[in-house]
Amino acid sequence: MSLALSATGLRKTFREGTRTVEVLKGVDLEVETGEILGIVGPSGSGKSTLLHLLGGLDHADSGSVDIGSVRLTDLDGAKLAEFRNRNLGFVFQFHQLLPDFTALENVVLPARIAERPLGESRDRARALLEEVGLADRLDHFPNELSGGERQRVAICRALSLEPPLLLADEPTGNLDPDTGERVLELLMKLQEHHRMASVVVTHNPAVARRCGRILRLEDGVLRA
Amino acid sequence: MEVPVQLPVDRPVSGAAPAPPGTSASSWYWRLPVPWLLALRYFRSTRKDASIRFLSSMTRGGVALGVAALVLAVAALSGFQARLLGEVLGHTPQLQIDVTPDSEGEARRALALLGVAVDVQVVLVGRGWIADNGRLQPVEIVGYEKTVPAWFPGVEASGEGILLALGVARRWGVVDGQRIELISPRSQLSPIGPIPRNRFLPVAGTFVSGRSQEFEGRVAIPLDVADQLLWPSDRRLDVELDGSDPEAAAKRLRADLPDSVRVQTARDLNRSLFFALRLEKTLMFFAVFLIVVVASQTLISSLALVIANKTSEIGMLSAMGMTPRQLGRTFVALGALLGTTGILAGATIGSLLAWILDRYRLLPLPDRVYIVDYVPFLLRFDTDLPVILLSSLVLTLLAALSAGKKAGAMRATSASFQ
Repeated sequence: MSLALSATGLRKTFREGTRTVEVLKGVDLEVETGEILGIVGPSGSGKSTLLHLLGGLDHADSGSVDIGSVRLTDLDGAKLAEFRNRNLGFVFQFHQLLPDFTALENVVLPARIAERPLGESRDRARALLEEVGLADRLDHFPNELSGGERQRVAICRALSLEPPLLLADEPTGNLDPDTGERVLELLMKLQEHHRMASVVVTHNPAVARRCGRILRLEDGVLRA
Repeated sequence: MEVPVQLPVDRPVSGAAPAPPGTSASSWYWRLPVPWLLALRYFRSTRKDASIRFLSSMTRGGVALGVAALVLAVAALSGFQARLLGEVLGHTPQLQIDVTPDSEGEARRALALLGVAVDVQVVLVGRGWIADNGRLQPVEIVGYEKTVPAWFPGVEASGEGILLALGVARRWGVVDGQRIELISPRSQLSPIGPIPRNRFLPVAGTFVSGRSQEFEGRVAIPLDVADQLLWPSDRRLDVELDGSDPEAAAKRLRADLPDSVRVQTARDLNRSLFFALRLEKTLMFFAVFLIVVVASQTLISSLALVIANKTSEIGMLSAMGMTPRQLGRTFVALGALLGTTGILAGATIGSLLAWILDRYRLLPLPDRVYIVDYVPFLLRFDTDLPVILLSSLVLTLLAALSAGKKAGAMRATSASFQ
């Protein structure tokens, strides 16, 4: 199996007033193609920070992140944005759907950013939404959808460009247990279906148990 | 494609009404670049949030008010200037050539060659006084060769003598044929020494002086009388053209004649007035433009509020792969949309108001004080309006740029997703 993601010696420090907090103290990890890696840890342990570094949403103080053959930490500005657009899908705890756009439009948007043909992008978005059971919600705005529906739209948006790597930050953290379970089941099926690598950050043991491999983030380092 | 993943659908929060037309990624603007696509949707959504709606309304209203005020102020100034220039140019020869007895023939030959003059006559101009019944008034004495120059409008003459401004004739109560004294500063020798030259001349008629005091201080007399009162060096040729451009004619004459012969157009003769009018208009423009400047600051606040409100969306857009430049452009485009709607509304309101105020003469003025008895508005669609629109647009774009820069500098960090 080939490596989808590899991170080496990631360090991240935040300043809080005069205090300096070292959140990540040299994180190393590898994720293989098609693998689901769960990262667990208590709140404030730095899980989200690690996910942002892996997705190039934030810069590490030191260390490197490689996705496929590309060293993410060497990219900046427009190149990094373009790489994120083509290769990474994000699902956050709060759906982060754009409230001024319908479900279909939210899913089409990454393809528009990538300047893919509109018709093709729309067909792909519609197929994804139908795949997750939202065929009758295409033209509804996020405030007209339930929490579970919103999160399913967010998952479709993350998958709309068929990225090789999906990064999920507490994907069921804002849902009631039943809905969360259904969304998680969907996420796992889609992951298996589309054969992408995934990193799922959670503090929920039930979610973590669904992942193929689990690592625990404690005191700024990852442990098996 | 793949087999659908069947899951029970949980219930929507509200009664899900169909999306309005223009959504569903099928509208024309989905073919626009993403920053414009987002800006248009955000522009529409500024009506949803009460605080953003209030601030964006204030922005558009402020810009509209500033542009409308600018249009009205510039139109009023243009209206006044057009009237004043009409008045001034009506009392000034189109071309004036200062000649000496030696160079007069040369100037006449050059004019004949040019072939655009319909009337050329020698005029002698100097200063002096008119006096009657103990009253004395300084005047500009114009000695004419053949006929009263065209720039003495509304002449009503009944014989040879002195032509007075209608206003002066009325004030002094003089009638045609009555003799008044004309005094020149050019002295003549007498047994008691040098004394000013003077002549008693019959009033030959009047001309319309308008409301300008400058033209009330003129008198016209035949050239032979003027020759006796004034210096020969004050001779000049007054030229009326066949409709040709005076500036072009003057340029050719200057090239044909020696430097000692001065050729001036009506614009040259009133250069200081033209400069003052232009300066007045420029200063007024900048003074009123301050309203647009203040309104553009509101645009920055408005955009800053929108950006603050959309921090998580900006973070998500960044995560989806929008570049900082694209994010910045989105808010510049939004600012341009807000500003442009304000500018267009202001220009429309201002133009309509200017037209109505001028057409129905709704702002009266005391006619004894000003050259017109109402405030005239003249909106120049070829010069003034484009300058107003362009300068306002540039200013709002600059304001939008500074706000857009802030959005572009935002990073999709964890803070963005709270």
